[in-house]
Amino acid sequence: MAEGFKLSPTPIEQFNLANGLRIILCEDHAVPVVSVAIYYNVGSRNEKVGRTGFAHLFEHMMFQGSENVPKAGHFQYIFNSGGTMNGTTSTERTNYFETLPASHLPLALWLESDRMRSLKITQENLDNQRSAVQEEKRLRYDNQPYVNAFLRTNELIFKNPANAHSTIGSMEDLDAATIEDVQEFFRVYYAPNNAVLTIVGDFEIAEAKVLVHKYFEEIPSQPPPPPVDTSEPEDVAMTQEVYHDPLAPAPAFVLGWKIPPRRTPDFYAISLAADLLFEGDSSRLYQKLVKGDESVVSIQGGIDERRGPSAVYIFALPKPGEEVAAIREQIVEEIRSLRTSGPSAEEMEKLRNSLRNDVVRGRQSTMYRAQRLAEYALYDGDPSLVDSELDQYLAITPEQIRSSVERYLDVENRVVLDIVPAAVAEEGESVAASPQPSGEPQQPAAPAPQVPATAPSEPAVEARALVPGSASAQLEPPQQPADPPKQTEAGSGPLHT
Amino acid sequence: MNPQHNFLQQPPPPLPPRAIKLPTAFETTVANGLTVVVIEDKRLPLVSFRLALRTGDAHDPKELPGLMDMLTGLLTEGTESRTSRQIADEVARLGATLQAGANSDYTTVAASSLAMFSDEILELMADVVLRPVFPENEVDLAKQNTKESLKQQRAQPSFLANEMVAKVMFGAHPYSVTAPTPEAIDAVTRQRVVEFHRSKFVPNNAVMIVAGDVEQDSILKRIEELFSGWQSGDVVGDDFPPQPSRTSRSAYVIDRPGSAQANIIIANRGLKRTSPHYFPMLLMHTVLGANASSRLFMNLREEKGYTYGAYSSLDARRTAGTFRATAEVRTAVTGDSLKEFFYELDRIRTEPVSDKEILDAKSYLTGVFPIRLETQEGLIDQLVQIKMFGLPDDYLEIYRNRVQAVTIEQIQEVAQTYVKPDEAAIVIVGDGAQILNQVKPYTDEIEFYNTAGKRKNHPTGSAATSHAAEATLAGDWSLQIDTPLGQSIPATLILANTVKGLSGRVESEMGNGELLSATFDGESFAAIVSFEVAGHTMEAHIAGEVTDEQMEGNISFQDAPALSFSGNRNS
Repeated sequence: MAEGFKLSPTPIEQFNLANGLRIILCEDHAVPVVSVAIYYNVGSRNEKVGRTGFAHLFEHMMFQGSENVPKAGHFQYIFNSGGTMNGTTSTERTNYFETLPASHLPLALWLESDRMRSLKITQENLDNQRSAVQEEKRLRYDNQPYVNAFLRTNELIFKNPANAHSTIGSMEDLDAATIEDVQEFFRVYYAPNNAVLTIVGDFEIAEAKVLVHKYFEEIPSQPPPPPVDTSEPEDVAMTQEVYHDPLAPAPAFVLGWKIPPRRTPDFYAISLAADLLFEGDSSRLYQKLVKGDESVVSIQGGIDERRGPSAVYIFALPKPGEEVAAIREQIVEEIRSLRTSGPSAEEMEKLRNSLRNDVVRGRQSTMYRAQRLAEYALYDGDPSLVDSELDQYLAITPEQIRSSVERYLDVENRVVLDIVPAAVAEEGESVAASPQPSGEPQQPAAPAPQVPATAPSEPAVEARALVPGSASAQLEPPQQPADPPKQTEAGSGPLHT
Repeated sequence: MNPQHNFLQQPPPPLPPRAIKLPTAFETTVANGLTVVVIEDKRLPLVSFRLALRTGDAHDPKELPGLMDMLTGLLTEGTESRTSRQIADEVARLGATLQAGANSDYTTVAASSLAMFSDEILELMADVVLRPVFPENEVDLAKQNTKESLKQQRAQPSFLANEMVAKVMFGAHPYSVTAPTPEAIDAVTRQRVVEFHRSKFVPNNAVMIVAGDVEQDSILKRIEELFSGWQSGDVVGDDFPPQPSRTSRSAYVIDRPGSAQANIIIANRGLKRTSPHYFPMLLMHTVLGANASSRLFMNLREEKGYTYGAYSSLDARRTAGTFRATAEVRTAVTGDSLKEFFYELDRIRTEPVSDKEILDAKSYLTGVFPIRLETQEGLIDQLVQIKMFGLPDDYLEIYRNRVQAVTIEQIQEVAQTYVKPDEAAIVIVGDGAQILNQVKPYTDEIEFYNTAGKRKNHPTGSAATSHAAEATLAGDWSLQIDTPLGQSIPATLILANTVKGLSGRVESEMGNGELLSATFDGESFAAIVSFEVAGHTMEAHIAGEVTDEQMEGNISFQDAPALSFSGNRNS
């Protein structure tokens, strides 16, 4: 059906500076804006025990001033030039990005280079940002139903502490972070040879090259950071646990599986199988449980895509009075049916058209493209995967999907987390809550209230996407908005600021 | 290291500006009154369609709030020729999207796909718009699931805060309703949905916008074919009661015991989207709180560290609006945050904004404008708002000039007109007992509600207790725990008055534990401690009482008998 679908290749120019900084340029003159993204190869997986949440706390410090940029000057310069910006931290990397009117490309490069060269680290700023991060944790995790349960699921799926702990970290570890930690982290990880810089938008290649040399080439490189061990035993070994969530208004459960790393045929096959199971109204589990049995209010899932062992989750919110075990049995049965018969021809067509649609739609935004290019360059050393990874997905056969389900999903080797509302509501009553795991920060440094950038592969998005009532964001390019903006929800333009 | 280059010390000057090419839109109206707007955009093989109707949640029948939301959810659940399942499968097979939704002023149906499936997705879209059948079983299912979603929404502090703001700020105006009640959901029938669709989905109240890789003539022809049988009908305007005015400052506290934060919204009456004051307000809002370089963020987050973010919001809708300042702060600094909010609200009224601030705000607004036009979705959003709010057709062309024309005097004038701290509604969702005394200095009028939205008495545990607890309980305590065998185990109890009133941890040879939930009353406290012992989690109950610098109490592990302890505060 989709013969004749051909996508023009993304024009990419790449080069390295002598200090090891990798640069990817992509010209697009459609709209006079430019997007700049810097990805540092450091995330929560690099954190030491006792310092969970540090990579993210450090990300906040990157907005606290450098030799020539005052505290919070980064926000001021970008917004006051008509730009948007943010930074995020995941297990895999920390990114910083801005979209500006095209004429302000030099400003973006000056700002990014100044903090890479000369971050100013003070106790006062550390204390202040620690407070901001702790409020972020309260806002997005501790004061939200179900979210912390997800972090707990991760702790059960992964055995290696590098994988298991969350990006937001624990309050105690955040409290324990010292100024020496910040300085050392900056020296080790925030070096040009540990970063990728991408520029996408309305600029001239030659001019951009001159600017990149001017601002970045004298920043000294550093010895390579210590290697990260994300290895895991393959099995999860059937783990079942009850999580008391004082904020949950109704019981729910999470199923989780450990799966192979991204960019492997097994990963592609599993992620397509996952789409068939839970992505959208046509998915098998939605049709079976929400529509057919009418036993759950909602069923959602997500994939935590990592360079090391990764994960798949399913979250179900049963209807009151429904038997949770019976619902789980139905889910297992559907997984088994996919293992037995594999996907239908119609399902394959749907997967492929949806993959094509997402790739094309993702090309619209310069920021989304800048982020994807940076990610492929950083993880795979090959930014052209922004086009060619689609072919690798399209090459997956029905049999590969079937056998991946057999090997990874239709197994006892999974985590089951039952979320039970701790008796709340009654005032003064003391409530036994489960210990709080820590969370994945999303768009942390400053929520961009106006034009939110879509983070490409944020495990955090997974967790958030799975929270009932919140928008499903996931690994998708910008999509058609489901609804017009409700009341004061951040507007989508000068018309609704 | 080289001495630093001079060029690094100052921000670089910008390159020459590049012109914005605004897309050209072709507009026409077909015989039944449907307006069609087409933008040919051949950059990528994509197409996006959006049908927008000038009827929204505000037009729900008074006794059936939520009817339009339910209707939009049901549009894709069955047509004369397709079942719910068939619609879902066909959309998916195209790799396309098809969704409908409403806000208070308007309703949209949105579809998008690769350009090669443009015909198929448009045909599906027309089918769900024109010929939905709202099957009985789907209506029943939607009712059940909407009621469950309501429970989920009520667990969100931001939902509770916005619900209260709408209620107190809009009074009899329909914007006061943000969600249906379970009773209203029960009262929905298939017949009411069918009738509501028939009366509200009329072409002479709608605009169809297309952007993408299409040929203008052929897409127009196709839209006419598909939508020409759509019967026009009566268009009901916005005949709503006026928004009430406020005469005094009062607080509305939604008590959410154990809340990890206090969600604060300070609201005043705002303006309509078409008000001549809109642009000065937009500039005022940008200086005060629109982004992370605005005053509120700089003060409450960057200066004080009270919050992850503090913002203002300009909620200007078709028939009324609000202006809000908002932040989620840790409970203990609720009062301090109110102080800073009112400081900034007073300042924007009494002092003219600086030359730099107005320039920066203009630069921000005109600069982010083209970013929104990068995507088909973003461009269509703008056009939808122009049509739905009745803005001038050349709005995108004049927008930047309108921003540039605003003066410092106009900003101060609208600040004095719309920012009225003495008439503000302070809405806070948080732990009432810990908030009460922090709010008192800012108003004498405080109403308490539970999370179901019902009025309640002021919480008994007052903030005075909280402060007392901070003084008497907080600190490091060296304790000796007595075992049945006559041994004494040293332990340290660290108590702090933070999020849930009281938090802390226990450190001992037996393991370290976290206080999970603590209650206190004057000099005594009780809590559950979660211990990590050899990789296992164990729970214990702990209770204690303080006399000056001494503490006595007991701790019990699961079913074991309680162990008593005593000790002193570390100086």
